[in-house]
Amino acid sequence: MIMHEATPEERRRFYVEEWSKREIPDFVLHTLSLREFGFDLDGRGPNNRYNQFMTVDQLGDFLRNRSPYSVYASVALYERPTAREGWLKAELALDIDAKDLPIKDCVCPQGKVCEKCIDAARLVAKQFGQVLSEDLGLRNVNFVYSGRGFHVRVNDESVMTLEGNERGQVVDYLTGKAIPTDVTMALGYSKIFRERVARTFGAMSEEKLMEVGGMRKPLAQKLILEKMRALEMIRKGKIDEISDFDGMGAKTLRNFLEFLTRINSEFADGKVTIDTKRILRLPSSLHSGVSMKCMHVRDIDKFRLEDAIPKFVREARDTC
Amino acid sequence: MNLFAPEYLAALDPFAEEAKRIVESSPPFESIPSEIVERAVNRVKWKNREMLVEANLEAIKADVLSFYLMCQAVASVSFPGSQEVRLISNATRATLRYRMYDVFKRGQAELCMKAVKRSIKLVDLEVGEVVKIGGTVIPREDFYKLRDQKLAEDGYDMVDDRILQQYLPKYAVRWTDLAPLLRHRKKELTELYLVNGWAVITPRDLWDLYANFVSVRAEEYVQSVYERILESGAQPSGLLAGVGERISSLVPKESEVRGRFTRGTAGKLRPEFFPPCVNLVMNGVGAGLRNYAIMVLLAPFLSYARVAPSGRVANRMVDFVDNISVVRDEIAPLVFDAAERCNPPLFKDQPQEKAGIFYHMGFGMTTEPTLSDSGRSKWYRAPNCSKIQSSAPSLCKPDEFCKNVKNPLTYYFRKKYEGSRSG
Repeated sequence: MIMHEATPEERRRFYVEEWSKREIPDFVLHTLSLREFGFDLDGRGPNNRYNQFMTVDQLGDFLRNRSPYSVYASVALYERPTAREGWLKAELALDIDAKDLPIKDCVCPQGKVCEKCIDAARLVAKQFGQVLSEDLGLRNVNFVYSGRGFHVRVNDESVMTLEGNERGQVVDYLTGKAIPTDVTMALGYSKIFRERVARTFGAMSEEKLMEVGGMRKPLAQKLILEKMRALEMIRKGKIDEISDFDGMGAKTLRNFLEFLTRINSEFADGKVTIDTKRILRLPSSLHSGVSMKCMHVRDIDKFRLEDAIPKFVREARDTC
Repeated sequence: MNLFAPEYLAALDPFAEEAKRIVESSPPFESIPSEIVERAVNRVKWKNREMLVEANLEAIKADVLSFYLMCQAVASVSFPGSQEVRLISNATRATLRYRMYDVFKRGQAELCMKAVKRSIKLVDLEVGEVVKIGGTVIPREDFYKLRDQKLAEDGYDMVDDRILQQYLPKYAVRWTDLAPLLRHRKKELTELYLVNGWAVITPRDLWDLYANFVSVRAEEYVQSVYERILESGAQPSGLLAGVGERISSLVPKESEVRGRFTRGTAGKLRPEFFPPCVNLVMNGVGAGLRNYAIMVLLAPFLSYARVAPSGRVANRMVDFVDNISVVRDEIAPLVFDAAERCNPPLFKDQPQEKAGIFYHMGFGMTTEPTLSDSGRSKWYRAPNCSKIQSSAPSLCKPDEFCKNVKNPLTYYFRKKYEGSRSG
């Protein structure tokens, strides 16, 4: 799929002919007037900030008149959005950018995305969503396809007043950033850690493995050759048994696990999560950089990239 | 009075109503017995049984008063997030934890729970054929692994049944209720066993969590006293200053500190932790606001933030720095640059205010300060937020963090402290 930058005329067509307020998810719609809106009007960055819309129709009029390059709304709700004052609470947001995934098995050039890495980002978002619901017991977990990846946006009251530090700890938990004391527990963080480590190791090449401190080539080759066996050990919590591989001493094993956790931590952009005043792309708007619709995904398992393709792209494709 | 009289709760929670009543009915600190003064200092050195309180009203009273004296004394000679604050916070945590273990061991779990339930909402695990929380079954192996993990943390291989009870998972708390501990990194989310939003904990964990809650409240209390001192502008009493200095002298030396405390005290200014009002002033302000912004707010703020006076009451900068270059090369250039960015530049029409800047930092009216000048004038403190709001409302553009503080310096010290802890 070729993702091209939208022209001003295409943007205009999108907002005049295709954009619909019905595509704004309820969690934004019901709090619209409490959010700060930001716009990138010409592709030079979101420098038009401090906007407030009292009704969705006002927002619609603005979009049709200005056809902005990008549209953003804050995760925070304010008493006075136009001054960014009177902070009330903020969604817990996670940003999974397909172009920044630390392990990719596609051949996208740097800074680009393809269907394959977008699907990889979707799986990461899905995993985060599961942990947010199951381990952290949160409700109202929403997924948004952002154009280049996914946002997970939690509107559960119990997390909306958390500050940056606590939110940062949620990212650590979701990504599997720390090595637990006991890796064998059936539930809890121990399980998440095993799953994350297995996922990351499963996608690693021999070349990447060689970046682990103390890792010698024969050991890296052996781990790749017997990856299924090693993955089984990890999944069953028998991580110590990986020491059975020739050359994998306790120190190298530790380095190996720490390396994996470092990579794990890069699956989400922690800066987005800890920022309780962040603006995120508005679901329903156009990501003009790639000419894709930013959209609320009701069922992450059934997400189809095709649904995010705007009419002007589809029509151009059909006429080719 | 027995150990389990309601008053004993004050020994388990210095912020309980029972403790507040003791404070309210006590004479001012200046006239309290010297044993209590000694107790306030010794609290940070206590080991094991020294942490316990006898079950009589006098002992409880002495304990509560010494706690408040310790906190207020530290607030008078240091700042939020200082090593002194860390020292008393850790000592408070250790004391509370030890007392809770002790009371529980003596078969008085109910008393512990009464204290705990005022701070932490918890539910009992359903432990029967299966172990359940909120309808979710906890695998039996996990139940025992949690027990063994906690025993190992305390260095036990085997314990008798009475002690073992403290190590069996028994309760659950919503992880979101632990937010203050996560915020202060007293607990890591990845250390908790979470199921469906519940953190499964043992009684031992519960005492730890509770002790941490009280230590966080102690830190917050010191912050509020610190801000009161700043607001009043008055010098702390001799007793508070004396006790504060003695506690400060017990802070482990730098070499010992490394590895235990992750943060230094004074140090290079970190603009990324400046509050919004200071950032505004740093960018220059307009006529009418210049003098207040530069002389009253910025010069005192930067000097206190850079020097971070601790260990003694802050009267003179010379008590805390041994090189005037801190003032001349680090603080003053930032103030002068901000003054230059004002519209019109402050020194263009008021060149005498260069000396005024050093005057506000305690060096008298001079443009060439030396260490020996320190103390020639008052070393002004940064005004409280409420004063800034009334004197220069346009400087006050609070961000989310501002709601936790009442003074720009507290903002800086706390933000810097939290920044260093979160790595």
